[in-house]
Formats: sequence, C-alpha cells, structure tokens
Amino acid sequence: MPAFEPVLTRNVGKPEALTLKGYRQLGGYEALAKALKMEPDAIIEEVKKSGLRGRGGAGFSAGLKWSFIPKGKDKPKYLVCNADESEPGTFKDRLLMEYDPHQLIEGCAICCYAVHATTCYIYIRGEYTKAAAILERALKEAYEGGILGDSVMGSGFKLNMWVHRGAGAYICGEETGMLESLEGKRGQPRVKPPFPAVVGAFGSPTVINNVETLCNVPHIIERGADWFKAIGTDERNTGPKLYAISGHVERPGTYEYPIGVTFRELLEGCGGMYKGGNLKAFIPGGASAPILPAEHIDIKMDFDTVAKAGSMLGSAAVMVMDDKTCMVGSVARLAKFFNHESCGQCTPCREGTNWMELVLKRLEHGEGSEADKTLLLSVCNHIGGNSLCALGDAAIGPVKSLVERYPDEIDQHVREKRCPFPRRRYFS
Amino acid sequence: MPKVTINDRTVEVEAGTTLVDAALKVGVQIPHYCYHPRLSVVGQCRMCLVKIEGMPKLQAGCSTTVVKDGMVVRTDVPEVEEAQKGMMEFFLINHPLDCPICDQAGECGLQDYSFKHGVAYSRFRYEDKRTYPGRERIPLGANVILNMNRCIQCTRCVRFTQEIAKTGELGFFNRGARTEIGTFPGKELSNPLATCVVDICPVGALTSTRFRFAERVWYLDKRPSVCTGCEVGCNITMEHRRGDIKRYKPRYNPDVNDYWMCDYGRATFERYKQIPRMQAVRVKASAAGVAGNGNYIAAGWKEALDAVHRQLTMADGPVAFLGSPYLTTEEAWLFSQLADAVGSPHRSVPVDIGPERTIPNLKGGITGREAAPNRRGAELAGLTPGTGGDLDADELILGDGAARCSVLVVCDSDFSATAYAPETVEKLRRAKTLIVFGWADSPLAKVADIALPLAHHAEKDGTFVNVEWRLQKVERAFPAPGQVRPGVDVLAELLSRFDAHWAKVTIPAAFDRMAAALPAMAGLNWESLPATGAPLNVPQARPATSATSAEAANQEAGIG
Amino acid sequence: MSVSEPATGAAPVSGHAGLPPEAKAELDEIRRRYPTNEAALLPALHIAQKVWGGWLPDEAIQAVARELDLAPAKVYGVVTFYDLYHQKPVGRHRIRVCTNLSCQLRGSEEIMETLHQELGVGEDEVTPDGRVSYVHFECLGSCDTAPMMMVDETYQENLTPDRVRQILKGLK
Repeated sequence: MPAFEPVLTRNVGKPEALTLKGYRQLGGYEALAKALKMEPDAIIEEVKKSGLRGRGGAGFSAGLKWSFIPKGKDKPKYLVCNADESEPGTFKDRLLMEYDPHQLIEGCAICCYAVHATTCYIYIRGEYTKAAAILERALKEAYEGGILGDSVMGSGFKLNMWVHRGAGAYICGEETGMLESLEGKRGQPRVKPPFPAVVGAFGSPTVINNVETLCNVPHIIERGADWFKAIGTDERNTGPKLYAISGHVERPGTYEYPIGVTFRELLEGCGGMYKGGNLKAFIPGGASAPILPAEHIDIKMDFDTVAKAGSMLGSAAVMVMDDKTCMVGSVARLAKFFNHESCGQCTPCREGTNWMELVLKRLEHGEGSEADKTLLLSVCNHIGGNSLCALGDAAIGPVKSLVERYPDEIDQHVREKRCPFPRRRYFS
Repeated sequence: MPKVTINDRTVEVEAGTTLVDAALKVGVQIPHYCYHPRLSVVGQCRMCLVKIEGMPKLQAGCSTTVVKDGMVVRTDVPEVEEAQKGMMEFFLINHPLDCPICDQAGECGLQDYSFKHGVAYSRFRYEDKRTYPGRERIPLGANVILNMNRCIQCTRCVRFTQEIAKTGELGFFNRGARTEIGTFPGKELSNPLATCVVDICPVGALTSTRFRFAERVWYLDKRPSVCTGCEVGCNITMEHRRGDIKRYKPRYNPDVNDYWMCDYGRATFERYKQIPRMQAVRVKASAAGVAGNGNYIAAGWKEALDAVHRQLTMADGPVAFLGSPYLTTEEAWLFSQLADAVGSPHRSVPVDIGPERTIPNLKGGITGREAAPNRRGAELAGLTPGTGGDLDADELILGDGAARCSVLVVCDSDFSATAYAPETVEKLRRAKTLIVFGWADSPLAKVADIALPLAHHAEKDGTFVNVEWRLQKVERAFPAPGQVRPGVDVLAELLSRFDAHWAKVTIPAAFDRMAAALPAMAGLNWESLPATGAPLNVPQARPATSATSAEAANQEAGIG
Repeated sequence: MSVSEPATGAAPVSGHAGLPPEAKAELDEIRRRYPTNEAALLPALHIAQKVWGGWLPDEAIQAVARELDLAPAKVYGVVTFYDLYHQKPVGRHRIRVCTNLSCQLRGSEEIMETLHQELGVGEDEVTPDGRVSYVHFECLGSCDTAPMMMVDETYQENLTPDRVRQILKGLK
C-alpha cells in the first residue's frame, strides 16, 4: 500500500498556513473557488457520495445531514461549527484550529454555500483561548481578503462567519445544547423532534458539524468523492481520520491515518507503550466509548468494526492503559466527569450519573459490596435509552464495560476492602 | 383528525395533541411531572415514557404528538413498567423521607406514582443523599416557602414565572445533580399569582406559607365554589375541615381563570374567621312594637321576621333597600322582590372599585376592577348600582339619604369596604328604623334595630355573575352554625308574609323563578347549569369604571 | 481587551453602576453578530468577568442583565451553569489542573499535590496574598501533553512538579 499522504494535517508545522496569503500559496481556497462555480445541490451530492461521516462522535453521514436543510427562503439558514471538543481524550480539533484555521474556514464556507446558509458560528469551547484568537485573526484576514462578507470571492454569495466562545460545559457539545448556549441560555439539550435541520439556531434551519468533518470538505471538493472513498476500509468507512492518542504511550499526539488503521499500527506509530509497559486495555473513542481489553489490539479503528466489537469509534480519542492501571479507578474518574457535566434536566442522567459516581467511588476505596455489580448494571439500563439526550447513553458506556469485562477486578476491591493496585508515582 | 391507538383503545384527536392528553381521552393515565397543559413542553422528568410500535427506544409521551393515523402506543408492557420503576427509583434516591412532616402528603406526585409505578424498597443504602444545606425552608416571597431538598427539578415553577406570570423571578441555577431553583439573591417571588407555583409543584418543595402545617389534606372536605375576592370570579375549591376553611385552591375553568387564581383571592376566606359573626337574631323592643324601647327582646326567627314585616308595612315614609355586591344573585333578586312587595323604588347596590387584577387564560386573560364578586348579578336582579336617583347607595352612604328614611333595610352587613367605617355607621343609623341582615356582626349590625344573621358564601348555594357576565354556581360547603340561615331561606320566608306564593321556596325554585323573570337568564334552570358557568346574554354591557359610570353603562345596556 | 489577554487581576471593582465604556464598546461590537440580545449573554459575561477582576459579583450580573434587558434570575442561571464563570473571588492568577483520565494516567494527582504543598491552600481557595487560586478541572483538550494545567489563559503542558514550581515562581 502506498505511503499515506496527510490530508488534514498537511499544513501543520507550516507557519505560513496561518496567514491568508500563505494559505493560498499552499493551494488554499482553490476548493472554495471551485465550489462557488458548482450547483449547491451538486456539492451536497459529492459530499454524500464521499461517505464522509461525522467526526465529532456520532458518525452520521455529513452529506445526508446537509440534505435535510429545507430549500425554502422564508427563514435564514445557519451553520454552527462544533468546536466544543470536550470529550476526554480528544484534542484533534484544537490542532486543526491552531495550525490550519483557514482549512476550517474554507470547509465552513463551502458547506454554507451548499445549504444556502448566510451565517456561520464557530462555537469554540471557552478554554481554547489561543485557538479562538488564532481563528479571530484568520477570520479578520478572510474578511479583508474578500473570502467572507458581502460577496464571497466575488461570487455574490453573502456569508458572515463569527467565533462564539463557550464557557465551560461538555454538554454544549451536544448539538441542541450547543444551540441553546449559542442563543445565550443554559446549555440544556432540547427535545427532538424538531431536529436542528428544521428548527435550529434562532428557530431557523441549522447544520451542525464537527471541526474535523468540515476540514475534510475542501479536499473532497478539490480532489473528488472517488478519491476520498478510496481511502479507508470500505464504502461505509471512508476518508482520512485523525486519531488522538494519549495515556500510557511513548509519544501521545494526533496522528492522521486512513480510517480503519489497526490499533496495533496506531500504537506502534506513537512509539509503543509508555516506558515499555504491557497493554491492559484501551478506550477507542473518548470517555463514552466502552473499554476494549488488550486482546482487541488488532481491531480496525473504523466506525463499523469498533461498533461490532461492542464499543464505538466516536471522536477517535484513544486512551491507552497499561497493566499497572486500576480499571475501577479509571472508570470512577470518568463517572465523576459525567456527573459533573450532566446538565441536570432529566431525571435518569441527573440522578443516575450522580449515583454511579458515588457507587464507583465506594468501590474504588474498598467500601463496595458484591451487589454493586448488579446495581450498576441495573442503573445503566435505567438510564440508557431513557435520557433526554445522548449524555445518559454516553455515561453508561464505560461503566457497563467495566462490570461486563472486569468483574474480577471489582470483586478484588470488595474482598480486599481497598484498591489492590499500588499507588502510582510518575515523578518520584 | 388523526387517530391513535393506546393500549388497544383507538381515539380520534386533533392533530398536535400530545400522547399524554390523547391517553386521557381513552382513560389511560400516563404518569408525568414536568408536563403541564399550559407550560412549554420540556420532556425532562422522563416519567411519561411509552412504547410506540416501530420505534426502538421508549418515547416521551408529553413531547410526542399525534399528527397522522396509525400510531400504536402501549403503556402496559414490561419495558414501560421497568422504565417507570427506574425513574421512580431515581426520583427517590436523593429525596428526603419527609412525608411525616411534609404538607404535600396525601396529594403528592411522588407518593402517588411510587404506589402505582414504583418499587417498595431502596437500593440507595450506602451513599449520602444530596442535600442543599441552608435551603430547607427558604421564603421565596411572602407567600411561598422552598425546601430545596424535596425538589425533583421538574422546572414547572420556573416555567410558570416565565410563561404565565411573565415576571421571571424564578430561575434554574447550577448544573447536574446540584441544580436548584431560586430567585436572584435579594429578589423575591412577588407576582400576584405567586402561590400558583405551590399548586403546580408535584411535591412538597414549594409550600404555601398560609397553609404550611395547617391541616392534613385527607381530612379536608372539598366543595366547588367561586372566589369572592373580586369580579373575576375565579373558580375555586373550598377545602375545609368541619366548617373550618383551611384553603382555597383554583379550580380549572378554561372560560374564566384557567388553572390559576391570585394570592389575594386565596386569603379571602380568612375574613370569615377574623370578623366576628352574628350568631342569633337581635330585635329591639321598639322595632317589635312592644314595651322596652331600645332593649333587646327575647326573639327567634319568627319574632324577628314578624318585626321586619311590621316595620315594612307600617312605614310612614320612604323605605330604602341597600343591597350588597356580595350577595348571591338569588338573594339580590329576592331582596328586590321585597322592595316590590313594599312598593318602594329605592333599591340599590354600592360599587367598590378595587385594585385591578388580571388572571391569565387562553383568551388573553380576564381582568377585574371591582372588589366584589356579584355587582353584576345584583344589577340584573334589580338593584341599581351607584347613582340612580334619590335614595341610592351613594346618597345613603355618603349623603344624608338615610336620615330621610323611615325604614332602611341593609342586606348584607358586609356590603363594602366602607361598611365598617364609623362615618358610614353613623350616617346609616340616621334612618328611623334600621334593619340589617348579614353574616358579619359589624358595627352597623350592632346598632341595628333588627339584626338577622345570614350564612356566608361557604354556607349557601347560589350564583355569582362575573365581570364577563358569566353566571357561576357556588356550592354550600358546610351548614351555617346555630341559628344562622342562608339568605334565600330567610328572604323567602319574609316574602311569604307578603305573598304566600313565596312560602318554602328553596334555592332551585328561587333560581328558576328568577331565570324565568329576567330576560338575560332566559332558558336557564338550576339543575342544568353548565359546569363552566353560563354566559349571559347582556347586550352592550360594559364594566363600570366608577360608581357613576356603572349606572350610565347599565342604563345604556337597558338593565335595571 | 482581546480574547487572549488575561484579566487585569485587580481587586474586584465595586461601585460600577454598569459596564464601563470600554467594555460596553466591546460588547456592542459583539452584539452585532447575533440576531437576538440574549445571544450576546455568554460573550457579555466573559467581558464583565474581566472588568470585575476574574469573577462575577451580583452587581456584575445585574449590570449585564440591565445591558441586555434580561431578568437577573435568568442571567444568574447562565452564570451558575458554566464552569468558566466564577461566583466568588479568585486569585489574581487562576490555575485549572486537568485531572481527567488521560492526565490521571500521567500523574495529575501529583501536580495537584505539588500545588497544595507550594501554595499552602486547598482547592478552590485563594492564597492569603490574593495571588493564586487553583482548582481541578475536566479535560482541557491537551491529553498529548499530560499532565497539564491552564494558568490564566495559557496552557502549561508536559508538567513535572519542578516545572510547576517554576511556573508558580513566575506568577506575580
């Protein structure tokens, strides 16, 4: 197989990419120019054909999502770029925004043109002050250079693009939570239906896409859906993918591969296990993904293969754990995260994530009981499918996988009335 | 209209009907907390989850609407029951076991659904319940107290202040398991409808300051009635224990007050306890025509009514009848008949313009500006409001009309806020003979020559006519004490001394005779009065903005 | 005042009837981006927080509420929902240490310990001289440089206890 040429990260490390002039010299905005000469519907078809699936976690077909936007002219249309990136283990969007902001701007502009959206908000998490500043500068240059404003590249298409900073809430990464936050309210997800494509931002049809998803768009337009489809595992898992790998590996970082790279390859590509340790388990797609034990080391990291193995690719945030890691302690920390981030609207998530954190804390500190395994599974089943938004379903992922795959480790905590793993010191 | 099938029962409903409402039409109760027909749908409590055929996950019944034929819904399957058990468990794990000291016990959403849909044991045994230290008894305003530990975060109260009262005092603060409701620090829940949040709170988190620890609800008898706080005529449920009224709650009437009533109205029953009441007839010797001058003679009802009859028939000068906008329509009509029997043209009713109150409903709200519930009914019955000639209410109360009266009959003693003022008593006492009917043993009643105790509005059946000319029934909740009798009984008995046609007339008969006599009430009869009231056909009627214009408005409308 | 500059860190300014002119001008520029007043609330609170020395006392909330014509209870609801709005005084420098899983797997616990040792105060407390406060935080999106922390508006990455001490020394 020919060596893989980076697509999304091709400009990373090239300082000129941060300026409009430099980005153009690197070939930027050619795709937008091409798109502006196409029919908007043709753009949507091309993106659909490419098989691009959402890179934010849900893996929903991007082109299909765009096609849901109604064509009528009675309401303005919006694109909201989801740059909230708060899923634990995920840091790929930050890389894209800090090193190649114009790639994102170009992708957003093409999407807006395709769905007739005249305003785009880049909802960026409040903690990413550096990335927000870089984006603001890039947008300013884009306006000055005629890429944005009353006539995008002279085409007559009017487009405004703004940065909107969040204020620290994971739930604002949920699409309707994001819309509520954009509108100046508490980021509490809405009841669906109606879906954002019909009633989104400010009551109008809205597309919401992840940063990485939108960064793929210029490349699809420039090089074609067929080129995109040729990368990856099969026609349902296509294109390049950023994998953010962290935890017990030698060189944590963001790595770009064709989607479907095996975990083993991924691990080797980042220097292997931290200090030569032994792989115990890994989480393939962020905190919501069920844990996969080491035996899955050869799994293809694409949407469908990981789903078949009982987990999810999600945002491809890969967290690696060696055999000195206590799984109970790790899942307890994730349960604490979900409890903290629950918006509190719906009963199963508000009360259930709270309960799970308390139970796992007890288990972690050796105050658990045998019945806690059944209890945790029962609580998970009462939350799953019953919560108002997907955070409930996300929260149960790691907990269920802990009880199903590591019951012995839980039993050991109960029996020994303490955590059997020695306290780990990284710096002494 | 689309059809939906719920638990094998099919019903046709308007497009856009929620499953919760559609289910009620076929006798299926889908449990819910956060849903309320007048508040925005938030789908938060997750208690209303139902199984819809063809959909893999359970769906919320409050946010799913019927738009086309063919939806098949089940609530009686294990999947739904398991979800309901799960939700109930979640609600209860952090809920304090306050039932023994909580007002809501007996009408509590958690108790009721626990019993019906929950489990009988707790699995939350080793953890500490979440509490809100320092937030166990926070007055949110003068009338509402919050116990945040009991809150189930349904947000009905927050949505109420935002969408119905439109004052936005309440907010939802913090996030996740620490969310709480409250006011901005230093601000109060002070809108006129504040206590409505206590009604809609499914649990005992919000309690009414007035009703707190007052009574266990299972001891309360409940009767439908109408509030006497103003002319809006909010429908209420009068809740009492053996004649001691403990609480008013609003009663649903989409044509009047919808689900709401104001805080002022809720407090109006307390007057019945605060103001001393007449317990027995009082007849002065002079009025009865026996020796003894101003001393009271021993008298029962027969003696008292004989004395009244005697005074009315032997009057050697003008006889004036001062009615009250607090009387029921039937009482006012009989009072007017009494004036007919005596042949006196002087029959009036005072008009109290009180503070303006607006109760929201689906028709833009209903506004009342008069302080009494039945000035309109009194008018229809033949009593003239305000300025209407020689010895009218204003002349009597403010002028020196009473001094020109041979006999002045006042019914009832609680006719207005001014009824208690010493100036008023002094003026009215100038009549040669003063006869006072009423429940309140007011200063006026104390100086009357004949004082006759009547039942107050909780102790009689009758009707009131509200600001929109809607006739509404009040029902007797409990019998009047001792010698006290309902006004209709007393006036009918008095009238029967003039005309035997009135003997033993009870309220249904009185109403039917009145309806036959008044064109505005054509076609109505007591037995079949509609549950939400009967709109009366009163052409071009306008509400009074002052005592004077009330008269003018009604003359224009051809009434009286 | 641009987005990436740290707050002035001055003591909370009291006696402000509303937003000072500079802040108001910044807000007015941002307001143009949205079709509703309400949508400018999150940016407005970021601006107000800088004016009031890194946190939002009641008067700041009321000033913003007045400026955007919103009920104070509603603004308060938004302030208390998000982790970046502080409701009580913070140090001139605010440290947020990520302790989520990837950082926990690389020693974030020891970073928290070091801060506790060096500063002598617990989490969410301010040093007596008002210089520093620190809290643990959820994933900051820098897992490849774990353990890490956010100091004011800057990410400090690839930490060791020694590096933490060095950084603390540089905070005035």
